[in-house]
Amino acid sequence: MDGWQQLIFLLEGVPLTLSISIFSFLIGIAVGLPLAFIRVYEKEIGFVVDAYEKIWRGIPEIVLLLLIYFGLGPYFPFPFGNAFFVACFVLGLRSGANQSQIYRGAIRGVGDEQMIAGSSVGFSKWNSIWHIMIPQVFTFSTPGLASEYALLIKDSAYVYVIGLAEVTTRSLQLKAMPPVDFVTPFVLAAVIYIALTFPIAFTLDRWGNRRKKKIGL
Amino acid sequence: MTEYVMEARHVYKTYRIKGTKKEDTKIVEAVKDVSLQIRKGDIKLIFGPSGSGKSTFLRCMAMLDIPDKGEIYLGDQCLTKPGVDLNKARARIGFVFQHIYLFRHLTALGNVELALRKVLKLPKEEARKRALAALEEVKVTECINKYPSQLSGGQAQRVGIARAIVRSPDIILLDEPTSALDPELTGEVIDTLRDLAKEGTTMLIVSHEMPFARDVAEEMIFYDEGHIIETGPPSLFFNAPNTDRAKQFMTRIINRTTRE
Repeated sequence: MDGWQQLIFLLEGVPLTLSISIFSFLIGIAVGLPLAFIRVYEKEIGFVVDAYEKIWRGIPEIVLLLLIYFGLGPYFPFPFGNAFFVACFVLGLRSGANQSQIYRGAIRGVGDEQMIAGSSVGFSKWNSIWHIMIPQVFTFSTPGLASEYALLIKDSAYVYVIGLAEVTTRSLQLKAMPPVDFVTPFVLAAVIYIALTFPIAFTLDRWGNRRKKKIGL
Repeated sequence: MTEYVMEARHVYKTYRIKGTKKEDTKIVEAVKDVSLQIRKGDIKLIFGPSGSGKSTFLRCMAMLDIPDKGEIYLGDQCLTKPGVDLNKARARIGFVFQHIYLFRHLTALGNVELALRKVLKLPKEEARKRALAALEEVKVTECINKYPSQLSGGQAQRVGIARAIVRSPDIILLDEPTSALDPELTGEVIDTLRDLAKEGTTMLIVSHEMPFARDVAEEMIFYDEGHIIETGPPSLFFNAPNTDRAKQFMTRIINRTTRE
């Protein structure tokens, strides 16, 4: 294959790389936001959140992918026999642990006064969180979320160990094809990853800064 | 049926201020056996030295701080009993904060509208209509689509007042509504409060705006070290308070006002 064909072959892996990172990111929001609020506002059970974060952040993603796909997959083919599901599951729950820490800082940054103002107009604690805190917490966390998203794009490369044909897996396949070329496939893969992370992180950052200025955070 | 809109009976509240070291922890007795009754249409004004616990008492009235002991009544309902739906009760109380605390992610209109939509569950058009009327009442119609960070202090506080009155609460509690503002901006907020007073709004205000107090308050309450020291009509305090402490405080505050 010449360079163009190699590039096209790699680009065919982009939808998979993107969908793994996007789904993981969304799972991370769904897990991380509640955890952060529980950690800040339900102090008695905060240790559960701490334990969750320590476990997911303490084990390498590769080990988790192998453990769940090859260890649990044969016993629970639904859902752990599905490599795409395992990829999103592992990266998403790990991202939840990261995002929980990002949001926790943001909650403190937004400040307790907003919660007090919420209860002064008759909101329950969880309604204040939903209507008042969460919109501000997202704005406040944009820099952290941008780098978390870039991290997920990069970490999606680990799923080559469970055989999903995303960009990294494809670059390995190219390496094994004639003509023998150990450089071009990986250089192209690197360029693709930069192209995937940079614009989104940049856009998110800029949106966040503009919004922050507007609401004076 | 009680004749009071709101009532505090023998309320106590202490809180801790944590120091850097354990032995630095201070216990502040902010409210010690305070009782107060407010009838419909009453305008009462609490004043006293800073750090005396006035704000804590006001927050206890709104159950934003939960009293350690004693009862708070909103009409016939005892709010300090366990199992009371405090959110529902707070929806019937307007609260205006010293540092305003507008919702930063919402425009002025959004701030006033939010509780109408999400707490009282009013339909969109009705909520909009009521919010606009409240904003008109505090005279900030020109900046309803601005965010709090784009408002002047006086405008922001008037939006804060609109947010408190828009639910037609039984009573409005105001915690030093002008003391965080630049002196030239306090006037517009005071004018808004005078308008509310004219309409017969029931208010309990912590404030040191003495000319305002003299004109609109039916009763002034001198508060120090967690107690109510003396209560009476403004004429009492402006002529000859009974207690020495109130006398000293009035002298100081009137001197300060005339100097400015």
